[in-house]
Amino acid sequence: MTQEAVQEAPPPEPGPLARLLQELLPGVGFAIRETPLDETVTISRDDFSRVMETLKTHERLHFDFLRCVSGVDYLTELETVYHLYSFEHGHKLAVKVRCPYEDPHVPTVSHLWTAANWLERETQEMYGIVFDGHPDLRPLLTEEGLGYYPLRKSHPLADIEEWQEDYLAAIDEAKRQAASAGGEAPPPMSKVEIAQAKAKLMKEARDKARADGLSPEDEKAAVRAAIDKFNADLESGQAGGGAAAPAPMSKVELAQAKAKVITKARNEARAKGMSTEDEKKFVAEALKKFSAEQAAGGAPAAAAPKKEMSKVELAQAKAKVITKARNEARAKGMSTEDEKKFVAEALKKFSAEQAG
Amino acid sequence: MATTDYTIPGEPDLETVDININVGPQHPATHGVFRMVLTVDGELVTDVDPVIGYMHRGNEKLPENCDYRQVIGYHDRTDYLAQFNTEQCFVEAVEKLTGIKPTERSEYIRVILVELNRIMSHLMFIGAFSTDVGIFGTSFMYAFRDREYVQDFFEEITGERMMYNYFRPGGLAWDVPDNFRERCKQVLGHINSGLKDLEGMIVDNEIVLARCRGLSRVSTKDAINWGLTGPLLRATGLEYDLRKAEPYSIYDRFEFEIPTGKDGDVYDRVIIRLEEMKQSVRIVEQALAGLPGGPIMAEGMKRTLRVPEGEVYMRVEGPRGEYGVYIVGTGTDKPYRHKVRGASFCNLSALRAMSIGNYLSDVIIILGSIDIVLCEVDR
Repeated sequence: MTQEAVQEAPPPEPGPLARLLQELLPGVGFAIRETPLDETVTISRDDFSRVMETLKTHERLHFDFLRCVSGVDYLTELETVYHLYSFEHGHKLAVKVRCPYEDPHVPTVSHLWTAANWLERETQEMYGIVFDGHPDLRPLLTEEGLGYYPLRKSHPLADIEEWQEDYLAAIDEAKRQAASAGGEAPPPMSKVEIAQAKAKLMKEARDKARADGLSPEDEKAAVRAAIDKFNADLESGQAGGGAAAPAPMSKVELAQAKAKVITKARNEARAKGMSTEDEKKFVAEALKKFSAEQAAGGAPAAAAPKKEMSKVELAQAKAKVITKARNEARAKGMSTEDEKKFVAEALKKFSAEQAG
Repeated sequence: MATTDYTIPGEPDLETVDININVGPQHPATHGVFRMVLTVDGELVTDVDPVIGYMHRGNEKLPENCDYRQVIGYHDRTDYLAQFNTEQCFVEAVEKLTGIKPTERSEYIRVILVELNRIMSHLMFIGAFSTDVGIFGTSFMYAFRDREYVQDFFEEITGERMMYNYFRPGGLAWDVPDNFRERCKQVLGHINSGLKDLEGMIVDNEIVLARCRGLSRVSTKDAINWGLTGPLLRATGLEYDLRKAEPYSIYDRFEFEIPTGKDGDVYDRVIIRLEEMKQSVRIVEQALAGLPGGPIMAEGMKRTLRVPEGEVYMRVEGPRGEYGVYIVGTGTDKPYRHKVRGASFCNLSALRAMSIGNYLSDVIIILGSIDIVLCEVDR
């Protein structure tokens, strides 16, 4: 590598490699960016093919190894980054090229480095950057016809689904209730919980002090006092506990009840032939209703009205219904077909009552 | 004596048709959920179309929604045979961007664990590969016996058998147990004697010699152009190892050699891995001798790790070759872009070029010699 004397240049100062590039490729604009390990230059798309070819073939550069091709989504533009290495000279260079969202095309380099073949295919399927001249741009990791580009920022991760959110909230709520009810001592806080509680306390105390217009010294003192009180509470074993409230359901029961409400609502919606949107709304409504009932605390009629039947009890009850229906049908002198129908009807009614 | 009348294959009057053979994705010889469609002319392979992606879990997307420390666990799950190597790569990348300097003790422990992990991975390779070649059982069992010692050792330190999640930017999650030195020496003893056994079973083995010598020769120029790294590149005779070429961590303090091959064939790739294990033992011994005391976490670490604006492509020498992580930081606690360059991915892309013209049964050996980890290929 040619090590030239350090010369004054606008920041960031081009490294030896960037200067060599400027010398060998006059007329090409190199935007230089300082990065650890590699020298990084950004070039325009029009110069791209020429620059890459020179990088590969010129004897003073001779970048024979293409390490990595990465796409990056900068919201208005898509960027492709090529990390290059020269075994002969030990040069390390990162070349970046940008293309607009509406026109995501970059010339391929797979004819220069065979390694680019798969790397470009992957970048194409993940970012939608089309590498012009690439021999085979089938998707590599995802299925064909995916319809979206997974790694673009416009494709976020799926949200936590409604029922998951609710389930998690239910567990949290149940935990709190279990801790405060039943007269048992609340479970000891974990280290993380303590730290979180402390941080919250400190923030509250600080905000309050600032709102009251205290001096910084007084503010500090107020925060300290709040923490001291918390520590004292913690030692006496009161922190984490709250006012005792009735805990109608264990957390598992609550979650089960919720799951049941959701399933029921969904099935009902599907039976009614609702659209997906409407179904979601319907389920949400049912859940809301359930939650309201729970909050009201009035021993909700729907959630846990009667003691759940055990499986055996249920089977016995069913058998009873069947026997009764059959006897009734026979008493009425029904045909075998009608009898079957009649029994089925009775069973259906029973099941509906159970679910309701 | 009557002569049997038959037509010689390849005679102009005989019409032949190329047949497609599907291998995988559920096939023990593909080392995971990997599928390839082979086109064969008789026994000769004329085309290979590798099909990957069965294990794609969005290992680049998920970390973009995670705190930097949460990402470490995802790296365990890329190359699940070289977890410490991958963790080291990511952790060093974050350290490069933030300027955090890991403590001396943690650097030594990292090197010890990483090199032991390299041995563990190569043992897996030797075991699985010998099964590919046709030596059933013995060497597989021997390799896995020794692997178990290392795995137990790692479990004592990290509490996990596979997904260690132990390195942190600035140091380690917690210190190693007090008996670390003794246990490490014990493990090294097992490995040393185990390596002798394995060498005796592999190096001069008639099956290995007959099936691997001269198979799938690759020139250095081709290897570089195809993007091969690691043992596959060194087998062609090029002395290139990132630990020496671009010393990261504290590798410049240790003495070790880079084993290279001559022919670039499958046999060389196997022998190089055997040699590399010995070199790793050397490094571990030196690191163990120089292991200092002191803290295992750098001072002044914040609860929330924010990485300033900037980008880095960090690479380390994994057991399979160059494992790289490209991170773009934007001053938040989550990476803006998180790209993983799997060594297996790039090495596997050369499978087609390496296999064409070989016999069907040899393609399995060539695939085995690449030593792919599908989780790293698909990410």
